[in-house]
Amino acid sequence: MRKGIRLIFVVWLGMHALCAQNKQLLYDFNEIPQALMLNPGVKTSEKWHVGIPLLSGLSFQAGTSGVTVNDLFADDGIDFTTKVRERVLDAMTRKDDFSTTSQVEGFYVGFRGRNRPDDYYSFGMYGETDIIVYWPKDLALLAFEGNGGANIGRSFDLGDLSLRGEMVNVFHFGVNRKISNDLTVGARAKLYSSVFQFQSIHNAGSFRTSPGQNNVYVSSMVADMELQTAGVKGFYDILDEDTSTTTKDLTSLFTKRVLLGGNLGLGFDAGFSYNLNPQTTITASILDVGFIYNSKDIQNYTLRGNASTEGITVFLPEDINDVNNDLWQELVDDIEESLPYEENSSGYISLRPVKVYGSIRYDFGEENGRSLENCGCGVNMERGGGMSGIYRNSVGGQLFLMKRPRGIQPALTGFYQKRLGRTLSLKTTYTVDKYSWTNIGLGLNLQAGPVNFYVLGDNLLSYRNVADSHYASLQFGFNIISWNDN
Amino acid sequence: MKGLFCRLLVALIFFSFLLNSCSEKQDFDQFEDLSITPTLASGIFYLESDEATINAAGDVGVFYAQTVNFDAFNEEFVAERLLEGTIHYELENTTSKRLGITIEFLDEDGNVLDVESFTVEPNMPEVFTRDVFYGPGGKSIDILTTTSSLRIRGGNLSDSTSVSSTSDPKVKLSSGAEFLFRLK
Repeated sequence: MRKGIRLIFVVWLGMHALCAQNKQLLYDFNEIPQALMLNPGVKTSEKWHVGIPLLSGLSFQAGTSGVTVNDLFADDGIDFTTKVRERVLDAMTRKDDFSTTSQVEGFYVGFRGRNRPDDYYSFGMYGETDIIVYWPKDLALLAFEGNGGANIGRSFDLGDLSLRGEMVNVFHFGVNRKISNDLTVGARAKLYSSVFQFQSIHNAGSFRTSPGQNNVYVSSMVADMELQTAGVKGFYDILDEDTSTTTKDLTSLFTKRVLLGGNLGLGFDAGFSYNLNPQTTITASILDVGFIYNSKDIQNYTLRGNASTEGITVFLPEDINDVNNDLWQELVDDIEESLPYEENSSGYISLRPVKVYGSIRYDFGEENGRSLENCGCGVNMERGGGMSGIYRNSVGGQLFLMKRPRGIQPALTGFYQKRLGRTLSLKTTYTVDKYSWTNIGLGLNLQAGPVNFYVLGDNLLSYRNVADSHYASLQFGFNIISWNDN
Repeated sequence: MKGLFCRLLVALIFFSFLLNSCSEKQDFDQFEDLSITPTLASGIFYLESDEATINAAGDVGVFYAQTVNFDAFNEEFVAERLLEGTIHYELENTTSKRLGITIEFLDEDGNVLDVESFTVEPNMPEVFTRDVFYGPGGKSIDILTTTSSLRIRGGNLSDSTSVSSTSDPKVKLSSGAEFLFRLK
């Protein structure tokens, strides 16, 4: 049991030490087909591309705005309880969060329209898991310190409990169109097939123990709390049954949910790239504007009401004839009636976490004509019938915004990109967000003939001691790309 | 060819850098040392009576006697984790009566585990308080963890005719507890 708790705690710290879906290295990295997934209006130059199934796009991101694994589990001789108190309870606020985001591309294909070469179509399927848990500061303090002692009179905010998570499979189809030499726009429709979803994001209420009007203490609780779950109970029931077919049943249910057999939703992405001048480009995109209607396998839990108690109270002469000796049970029943814990199976709509990117890029160091002749550049690289606009260097800034349960989460990135001929391109970023002020990332794109390989690593300084990292991410993938004149 | 080799070398170095991450030594067994011992506070029992009710009980009569079920401490989850604590009593008497109040802690079979007795003087100018500590150095914590009910008796130790000159004379017994639990 203890090992189980310890495992859960470590996994919780490890898993939830993940954060933000910001893919600043991939964004506007035009040489990588997956950049189209972050901005449907990115400049495309391929004739077609095919991602290696299950290997074309893998991304895992990890971070925490509060405590790190090393803060707690470093073998430093400091008492563990002291570390928890000083580094978690005293240091973390309700704005700190732990979250995890991972994405696995099932397949991803793109091709240029035969009759409309300015159009680039792409479609595919990817799975995404996204969980965010805000640090429930007041509830943690209540568990650690209790409502007595120095906490008499303190109001514990039940609204500190805020979490959301989902696993979703996404089918998508996008169109990227070169409107003019300066403007490219794009949009992508998405069909969400939910595996599971849970959220508890609109909680409110308080718990307070203070000197009573009559008795020594009065404890009061006002609660408006709800945990909504969709698709969780099905998995739980299979695990709970624990039969010889558990693995098979889990696989079957998972497959069914992935392939549109669960709760469904719709969404879209949109974006553009615009050349302010031959060397300056601005881009922007908005992703996952959508929802999932959760109507199957729903299990919601609510705690709503208000209750106040000073313990067992007897007022004479009013209660002189009350000879019931179950006053304690009556008290418990009264509280449960005033503050009922209930379950229901009402459907609900969950919104996808909307993300917005924006960037400005300045290109310099134009390639000479010789290298352009064989650059394999596509239609978007051509200007007025001539070959120009290929630069060896790019520098710029990016802005990332993401809708989270407790507001917009921003990140600001500065980047430099270097193209070494046709085969190699490097991008380095410096990003500032709530998780880290020292996030330096490095991305590499390698084009070996038609084979494309990319790897993008974030917060490289933290690799000196991964356990002490507030943020880490890794993305990589393989594609087959055919260029326009190939 | 040489250029391609250099580029592949750069890629290799980069990828190696990503893979060759380090981590200080971690000791996850430390979790076993985590100690979570919150102090929980709650009102327990409150008794209030006016002077007329006491007079109605007659000379040297019992104006309140009740045995109430009280499972707050002997619930398995609580009993296993209760470390120590204090029950705080407050008595206020503005009646003209000398009163005797007892609280008996009874187990499931009705056996008396402990008794707390108070003799209250009439027209007390101040609130009388008493703290009873349970745990190391105090009364046995087992008294609480095996208490299943409380027997409360309020007796009039004076006559049944006198009336206090204060407005709305009453006797009030309040009690609350602060206990240390071991959650982990």
